[in-house]
Amino acid sequence: MSTGEPGADEVVLAARRVGKVFKTFERAPGVLGVLRNFVARKEIEVAALADIDLVIRRGETVGLIGANGAGKTTLVKILTGIVPASSGEARLLGRDSFQLTDEEKRRLALVMGQKSQLWWDLPPIDSFQLLREIYSIPEECFRERVAAFTRMLDVEDRLKIQLRQLSLGQRMKMEIIGAFLHDPEVVFLDEPTIGLDLVSRETIRGFLVKLAEERGVTFVLTSHDLEDIEETCRRIVVLDSGRVAFDGDLDGLSRRVSGQRAVEVHVDPGAQLDEARLAEVLRQHGGEVGSRAADAVTILVPAEGIRGLMPALFDALPVRDLSVERQPLEHLVREIYSSSERSGAALPRSDEVEST
Amino acid sequence: MTALPLRVPRLILRSAGYEMRKRIQFRTGFFVREVLFGTVEPLIMLFVYGALYASAGGGDVVLGGWTFDEILRYVAGLLVVRKLIFHNRGIELSTEIFEGRVTKYLVMPLRYFTLLQGRFLQYTLLQVVIAGLVWAAGYGLVGDRWLVPVSPTAACQALVLVLMGSYCCFLLYFVINALAFWLDVVWSLLVMSWFLVNFTGGGAVPVSQMPEGLQRIFCALFPYWTITAPIELVMGRLETADFQRGVVVLALWLLALECLRRLVWQRGLARYVGAGM
Repeated sequence: MSTGEPGADEVVLAARRVGKVFKTFERAPGVLGVLRNFVARKEIEVAALADIDLVIRRGETVGLIGANGAGKTTLVKILTGIVPASSGEARLLGRDSFQLTDEEKRRLALVMGQKSQLWWDLPPIDSFQLLREIYSIPEECFRERVAAFTRMLDVEDRLKIQLRQLSLGQRMKMEIIGAFLHDPEVVFLDEPTIGLDLVSRETIRGFLVKLAEERGVTFVLTSHDLEDIEETCRRIVVLDSGRVAFDGDLDGLSRRVSGQRAVEVHVDPGAQLDEARLAEVLRQHGGEVGSRAADAVTILVPAEGIRGLMPALFDALPVRDLSVERQPLEHLVREIYSSSERSGAALPRSDEVEST
Repeated sequence: MTALPLRVPRLILRSAGYEMRKRIQFRTGFFVREVLFGTVEPLIMLFVYGALYASAGGGDVVLGGWTFDEILRYVAGLLVVRKLIFHNRGIELSTEIFEGRVTKYLVMPLRYFTLLQGRFLQYTLLQVVIAGLVWAAGYGLVGDRWLVPVSPTAACQALVLVLMGSYCCFLLYFVINALAFWLDVVWSLLVMSWFLVNFTGGGAVPVSQMPEGLQRIFCALFPYWTITAPIELVMGRLETADFQRGVVVLALWLLALECLRRLVWQRGLARYVGAGM
């Protein structure tokens, strides 16, 4: 672990065989069950993470993806020192995450999309003042950052309004400003855009990308909105059932899974599709229907089959419009999960695959 | 950057200011919760004692070493003292643990307890003002039948004991709230602890009117030095030597509760799950 001057290769975050087991009680249903629970409760262990290995270097932007219950939030909690790991070792900025000193905490920030860090009953500017005190931010830097960040996120006129009276989007923007006031080096964002409209999501993504580029902030972002990940993160870690199912960049993920393309075909409104003909064309070119909507069908096809598929599609369907895109991230992730289920274990890490 | 030794007191002051704003922003709630709180039980005491002394013959009858006039002044003292003692609803730690609201503080470079100390400070400052107003209103209404300190020194000594005892309550409620790391429900324990503090402190009956065996036990506990003893100091029933003994007892309790608080917090954090994130 590097302990010298901060450099681009400095490891800021390392998890080695990290596991987490939560203990809880099984509650039997019904009246008899309640009585049984009252006399003797049955303790059960729930494994949330197992053998997680992860190294994140300074300046990396990492998107953590996983279905509900995959363990991504638990991993963030362990890496930030909120909960201890049950096994293995998690280190942040060179120290055991659960033993961080105030100095290390000054270099860290956490944004929780489903929990407010700011004080609910106070206007954001009051919360920011308290954060200034907590993080010992010099007055001038504080004023400059508040002005710059509120301008970037377009909430300059909302600083003195009680937090509870702000819209969800404005609130989240304030949360993000609060997290960046002390100029952190490592920022964890847990679902920062959850429930936000498109404009707010894009503004926040733009803000994060700008800060990552200008200040070299290391990000770990978890989100169910894969657009967030695509637009803000260069590295993707997919968690599945508490294990790392993939770790690499977006292109690597695309190659790793199947290198497919998504062809979105819009047909004339009300036109009857010749399903048999379409199925035959897809069979010939190795494609499959990814999804259907009114007057549109999305076809997934291997990248090498795209050249032959195009003319066949025009012959087979009353095409009105057509677009070809890299396979949407959702499809890739879905494929990783099903792959993982088929093989009975998580997929090998991308670096292991590349080295073979 | 703020010098480290000054940072914690500054943080406490700053958070006290924020807590104050949070507390007084809803006027009706503030009046009901902070001003009217603690007036019902003394009123009930007054009626019960009135009936007791009347059935015993009234006039200057002495029950357990107390005349009815003294009891009236004791009840007046209770009205004021109760305003000063930190109440368990002043800490919402158990809710914050259950709902995962502690999480945000765990990644900040401060001890969460520092912010709670700020809350205690604002509570105390505001309640001192309210208690002063309640005392003045009572004195304005009933004059010398109200509790009037035998000397300014006695009043100051009483205030010191009440505030030390109030901090003991604050630590006790912190510890009970922190049991939320282990238990699903702690509010029943909080209610029970409030009842115990109140009873052993003399919130229902002056401790010196209780059986001697109980008096001996309760005098070793902090609630007695928080409720009964300060009122008796103001009334002139206790003296400076008692005040000194009270300071020693309370200091020992503060030490013990602080050690317990640290232990429970450290052990509890290892079990924290950060719910709701």
